[in-house]
Amino acid sequence: MADKTFIVKIKRQQRSDEAVRWEEYELRYRPHMNVIICLRDIAEKPFTRSGSESTPVSYEANCLEEICGACAMIVNGKPRQACTALVDDLEKPIRLEPLTKFPLIRDLQVDRSSMFENLKRTKCWIPIDGTYDLGPGPRMSPETQEVGYALSQCITCGNCLEICPKVNENSHFVGAAIVSQVRLFNMHPTGKMHAGPRLEALMGPGGIEDCDNAQNCVKVCPKGIPLTESLAAVNGQVLVHAVKSFFRGS
Amino acid sequence: MSVAAADSKTSYLLDKLQSLSGVVPIGAFLAEHFWSNSYALVSVGKYNDVSRELQQIPWRIMIETCVLFIPILFHGLYGCYIWWTGKSNAIGHPWMANWLYVLQRWTGIIAFVFIGWHLYTERFMGHGVTSYADVQRNLMNPWYLTFYIVGITCASFHLGNGLWNFACKWGIAVSVSAQRAAGWFGAAVAVAFTFIGVAIVIALHYGAFPLGGYVQ
Amino acid sequence: MRQPKIIIVGGGLAGLMAAIRVAEAGVTADLFSIVPVKRSHSVCAQGGINAAKNLKGEGDSTWKHFDDTIYGGDFLANQPLVKGMCEAAPAIIDLLDRMGVMFNRTPEGLLDFRRFGGTLYHRTAFAGATTGQQLLYALDEQVRRFEAEDKVKKFEGWTFLSAVLDHTGVCRGICAMDLKTMEIKTFACDAAIFCTGGIGAVFGRSTNSVVCTGSAQSALFQQGAYYANGEFIQVHPTAIPGEDKLRLMSESARGEGGRVWVPKTPQDPRPARQIPETERFYFLEEWYPKYGNLVPRDVATRAIHKVVYEMKMGLAGDPAVYLDVTHIPREVLERKLEGILEIYEKFVGVDPHVEPMKVFPAMHYTMGGLWVDNENQATNIPGVYAAGECEYQYHGANRLGANSLVSCIYGGGIAGAAAVRYARSLESGCENTSPAVYERERVRQQDISDALLNQHTGTENPLTIWREMGDIMTENVTVIRYNAALQKTLLKLDELSERFKRINLQDRTQWSNQTLNFVRELGNMLVLAKVITLGALARNETRGAHYKPEFPDRDDKNWLKTTKASWNAGKIQLEYEAVDTSLLPLRERKYTAAK
Repeated sequence: MADKTFIVKIKRQQRSDEAVRWEEYELRYRPHMNVIICLRDIAEKPFTRSGSESTPVSYEANCLEEICGACAMIVNGKPRQACTALVDDLEKPIRLEPLTKFPLIRDLQVDRSSMFENLKRTKCWIPIDGTYDLGPGPRMSPETQEVGYALSQCITCGNCLEICPKVNENSHFVGAAIVSQVRLFNMHPTGKMHAGPRLEALMGPGGIEDCDNAQNCVKVCPKGIPLTESLAAVNGQVLVHAVKSFFRGS
Repeated sequence: MSVAAADSKTSYLLDKLQSLSGVVPIGAFLAEHFWSNSYALVSVGKYNDVSRELQQIPWRIMIETCVLFIPILFHGLYGCYIWWTGKSNAIGHPWMANWLYVLQRWTGIIAFVFIGWHLYTERFMGHGVTSYADVQRNLMNPWYLTFYIVGITCASFHLGNGLWNFACKWGIAVSVSAQRAAGWFGAAVAVAFTFIGVAIVIALHYGAFPLGGYVQ
Repeated sequence: MRQPKIIIVGGGLAGLMAAIRVAEAGVTADLFSIVPVKRSHSVCAQGGINAAKNLKGEGDSTWKHFDDTIYGGDFLANQPLVKGMCEAAPAIIDLLDRMGVMFNRTPEGLLDFRRFGGTLYHRTAFAGATTGQQLLYALDEQVRRFEAEDKVKKFEGWTFLSAVLDHTGVCRGICAMDLKTMEIKTFACDAAIFCTGGIGAVFGRSTNSVVCTGSAQSALFQQGAYYANGEFIQVHPTAIPGEDKLRLMSESARGEGGRVWVPKTPQDPRPARQIPETERFYFLEEWYPKYGNLVPRDVATRAIHKVVYEMKMGLAGDPAVYLDVTHIPREVLERKLEGILEIYEKFVGVDPHVEPMKVFPAMHYTMGGLWVDNENQATNIPGVYAAGECEYQYHGANRLGANSLVSCIYGGGIAGAAAVRYARSLESGCENTSPAVYERERVRQQDISDALLNQHTGTENPLTIWREMGDIMTENVTVIRYNAALQKTLLKLDELSERFKRINLQDRTQWSNQTLNFVRELGNMLVLAKVITLGALARNETRGAHYKPEFPDRDDKNWLKTTKASWNAGKIQLEYEAVDTSLLPLRERKYTAAK
């Protein structure tokens, strides 16, 4: 009996300045395959459907359990993590493309360092005095912890930026992930004391005002983070901060 | 992506003003405009009285300039800039809010064109003096009527949906349930404004006075 | 005073903690990581972090934590540093708490603690089901803050190739490869701290992340560093088998009544639900009637292994057994096992409420690693430090659950401070090292890459070699170890090393060539596989995770000692070192009782 097979089409580009080509691979079907397994199959036998020799596909992946955020790509038109994209659930042929809102490195691999850079610019950390023993941290209600925990699960995958109509060459919105992190740090008892600079960072170009409420972000977040709530909450915080610092000085 | 690349808060201020101006004064004026024009549903005389009243308010040109022309021009032109900074993707990702975003962009453009034309024909060509007869004459033209209906629908949608956006963007509605409630409120506004606005122009087109029965 | 230079390789919990300590000491740290540090493998830890804070009025103490750790590790760990770790743990929790980790809280707003495998105390602080992620992010944020102040410089997307050693054997820098441009460069430093994590890829598939190859440890080993206790590999009894990775299935599934079984007829083609009760082999319940499915981790692991590899009763011939919760009422499952069963459904695409889950033990953690000294996390190469899973210090022969996170942070902190002290004490720093020393190392590494890129006659596929290595390591060098099988494994590894020389690099480009990087790692993995296998072969006893049916007892007389492997002109040599048991007397570790 011939093995059951299926087709995977991959958008490939050696470098961002080189020509795009779509390659088709015919892979042997096994139960419970995901997109990562498809890419490994190709790496082991990098021959396209027409039989011509190609190279293993470049892509980012690490934990393979949807918690490191590395393997985000566009699978059948939707940005998602490749490790949880199960072949059984996907329409065939499966189409794989790199995220489009980040500089391309090669094939399915992109450079998302801008997100980490933006976490830096928005001062997303708790400024502790030092690592020496200063006793326990501030008390926190279980309710606050619950909200904070939901926000702190952001894996910086970039799906929310990919899907956002306000992230493109004409607009440099930081994206819901970063705004949501600002909310996280602004709600922490210590982080709250330093909310001002974070909010001010979100007032410049690319800041919170660029959000036009299309609310796509929340639909593609693999961690189910309440991003639209974060956007609204931080919008309110920025406004109050702006009004306060105008009338009372900062 | 360059947060704070320029430390200027100008863009924040402009964005906030754009958002605010859509509600006050533009949205508020639209409510007033639909209210006063609703007299067309009552009688010719009443309509002309109210129009004359409005056309004779003190400081008229100043008020029109500050409360109407400048805000509308700013809201519209800056809105075009915001339109330019977006790239719709609702075809591939047809979620409700995504469609609302797309519609908000395009209704804004259509409404802006319509309002410009409406102001030109009804405010400037008539040098600020129009009567029931003038308006009715224009609306006898089916193309006029069609454009009015499209323009009113777009403006009403843009306002209703804009109120929902406003609630989210000013941090008034934060929780998902509050945002949903704000969405229903916006939808109600859009439907009500569309209904009233369309009713007015159709009544004018046919010279009918559906609410005139209890006037005398 | 001259400003010392410190390099840290690896950006998981240990590496980030080391970077924080270095930056706090006023020294600039260059932090190298293959992946953006926020994507490091520490992110995968689920359960929690141990610290005897005794917030539940149970009379817990750091001494009891220390005792549990040494006992769990079957007395193979050097005791003083373990004691230091347990004593530091409560302050580490406080520190993480101050950094903003969203630990679960009590109604009073204090940290909540849960009970974890093997201990009687509520000693494990946790943040939902993703404690490792939360801790990693907290440290990542602190390092980002230092980065914004130019006290840390990150080199993300670089892989470590080798240390730069001067003619006296002192580390004066590192040689690394940019994974985008494939450029090989050397970087000078006075001390280098290695926090390069686990070695799961040596076993092919494991619960570890893709980057956990052990390549850096192996490279250092081949430059003269000792590798200690490599044979101690922890296996988790229940993981979800996947072709790409083995994902943990928490023990709580069995805790809530889940039953483990295989069909009595090997390779029974029927779906699980159609196999009647009488034709199911509940082997744990039959073999261990007293504890049933809740036998301790290592016992469950060995039983499953035996069923699959010795009795050849794996499901459809595959290495898997059923973990069945379908008999438990849905509302109980939803209340108690919610998130866990979701993971199964997400990755397998099968609803575990209806279909029994297929699980199998998975290589999870290496207790062994780079040898470090008893106080400074210093390896035997001057200027080279190690912390986290890549070193051997804290877990003896078996790691206690929820102790890995605390050992990473504790070890990373010590290494950071010690490296700064060492660098400051140097009379002559790396600035006085001849450029020729760096150039020689760079050329050596460039030649290795060039040779791989220019070899056009190769026939061997790197992924195939990797899979064969992983398969034989998993079969013979994880749960049950027989000397004959270990011998066979060594022969196979030799064969693979020979075939490795004829490898065919399918990608010869000089831009983001992931194949080239993988092949270089694979070469190092093969060496590490041999170190592990040789250590296991030599140790004729059973201790902790190391189980030899031919030698079923712990043998303190002959084997209460640390294995130290060294590389001598291409040959692996083993020597042994006494274990420091100065604080706790030896006692038998019983598998049949809770403790």
